Amino acid sequence: MIGRIAAFGRLGLDIVSSFGRSGRFLAGVLGGVPRPATGFPLLVKQLYAVGVLSLAIIVVSGLFIGMVLGLQGYTILSDYGSEAAIGQMIALTLVRELGPVVTALLFAGRAGSALTAEIGLMKATEQLSSMEMMGVDPLRRVIAPRLWAGFIAMPVLAVIFSVVGIWGGMLVGVDWLGVFEGSFWGNMQSSVDFVDDVLNGVIKSVVFGFVCAWIAVYQGYDCVPTSAGISSATTKTVVYSSLAVLGLDFVLTAVMFGDF
Amino acid sequence: MNSPAYISLKDVVFSRSGRRIFDGVSLDIPRGKITAIMGPSGTGKTTLLRLIGGQLRPDSGSVVVDGHEVPKLKRKALYSLREKMGMLFQSGALFTDLSVFENVAFPLRVHTKLPEDMIRDVVLMKLEAVGLRGARQLMPSELSGGMTRRVALARSIALDPELIMYDEPFAGQDPIAMGVLVKLIRDLNSSMGLTSVLVSHDVPESLSICHYACIISDGKVIGEGTPEELRAHPSGKVQQFLQGQPDGPVPFHYPAEGAAQDFGLSGGVS
Repeated sequence: MIGRIAAFGRLGLDIVSSFGRSGRFLAGVLGGVPRPATGFPLLVKQLYAVGVLSLAIIVVSGLFIGMVLGLQGYTILSDYGSEAAIGQMIALTLVRELGPVVTALLFAGRAGSALTAEIGLMKATEQLSSMEMMGVDPLRRVIAPRLWAGFIAMPVLAVIFSVVGIWGGMLVGVDWLGVFEGSFWGNMQSSVDFVDDVLNGVIKSVVFGFVCAWIAVYQGYDCVPTSAGISSATTKTVVYSSLAVLGLDFVLTAVMFGDF
Repeated sequence: MNSPAYISLKDVVFSRSGRRIFDGVSLDIPRGKITAIMGPSGTGKTTLLRLIGGQLRPDSGSVVVDGHEVPKLKRKALYSLREKMGMLFQSGALFTDLSVFENVAFPLRVHTKLPEDMIRDVVLMKLEAVGLRGARQLMPSELSGGMTRRVALARSIALDPELIMYDEPFAGQDPIAMGVLVKLIRDLNSSMGLTSVLVSHDVPESLSICHYACIISDGKVIGEGTPEELRAHPSGKVQQFLQGQPDGPVPFHYPAEGAAQDFGLSGGVS
């Protein structure tokens, strides 16, 4: 019994100290004056790695999710004779929820895991240590551009996801199932509010982008520098990011859309 | 030891994960000489280099490098002190996404504002010093282990440091690569007037080039002096290490319960 209580206490201490370490880590990454001349090229390189290279999976997923929404929406709405509302249903679902959330989940799986593995391997091969010994702070040189790139790329990817999804929904709803194009777009325009829906969706994706990128770079930097350690850190990145995104999505949705 | 100490460790105590790695280590490393720090695997030789470089802080005791008390330095001062240090890591630690040329150019680009053509000249000179001027366009994945260390060596001398620390430079090298590294370490020390700290357990190579050596075991310095003094050292442990004897003061067997009891023979066999 005492052993269990002790183990529970140790777990609590580990969690608290992990939060503390990640907070200090974040302060180290974001602290200091950025130098645009050296920082900008590094940022562009990382934007390419985490943003541009994630485009394929985001576009394909967005297209299919939009098409499925079109099909499902049509099947349900046509029962009530209101298939003309399919445009607003697809747009609101994507812009408010699926765009930010699914993009963040895909981002954690595609870019987050890659960031963790890359940083973990740099740690295991002493590249981060050698940088420190050359008088270069790896937090600023290696971690900061990756964190900022994730933070910037996520909202852009989420917007692209929603746009492609709406297009996919239109392909199915309008071109295939024959919903009138005017009501598809017209209903969408009249029901989607820029501030309440689009902006709130973007705010969600900004928060998710920050959290996913933070978890990914922290797990890489804090991993045990062995192959087993990197593998475990990569898994943790995907699991923690997914849980954080889903949990935060509920909180943000409650704050944004909860005033009934 | 006549030269003034460049690095001075006093009563350094350091523990990690509840294990005491150093238990009052005191050591002076002379300026402009090659000092070898030797000891069995797992005695914390690399940890000692990290304490000198300020990547780790001792639990107690002082680490002074060129007059600076390293554990007490603020971040900025520590990073500027590190610009005077070069370190050759055991794995080479080259940046895998940069070519050989860019690896050597990295510290120059970060710490100096030299024009591109001058950076090119300096990098080629450093690569020439390690015999790899022709390999400038290769990526780290295309290099052999020995070449990787030579490129890493060129990179660590790019800023003309005062101190260079070698972490197990000979480990896993073939005889030719080992010979090349021995020559390079000796030549660099004499031509650039570097203070060199060499961490190794390759006794013959280390003793052949060092001016001064110390042996660490069980968290303490068990012997120090010139190579000749060490060879004549009275300590059994020092002699066992230098001569590579399998059994002696450091036992061959890891402590275990009695063999008879372990094999289930206790009491049953007369």
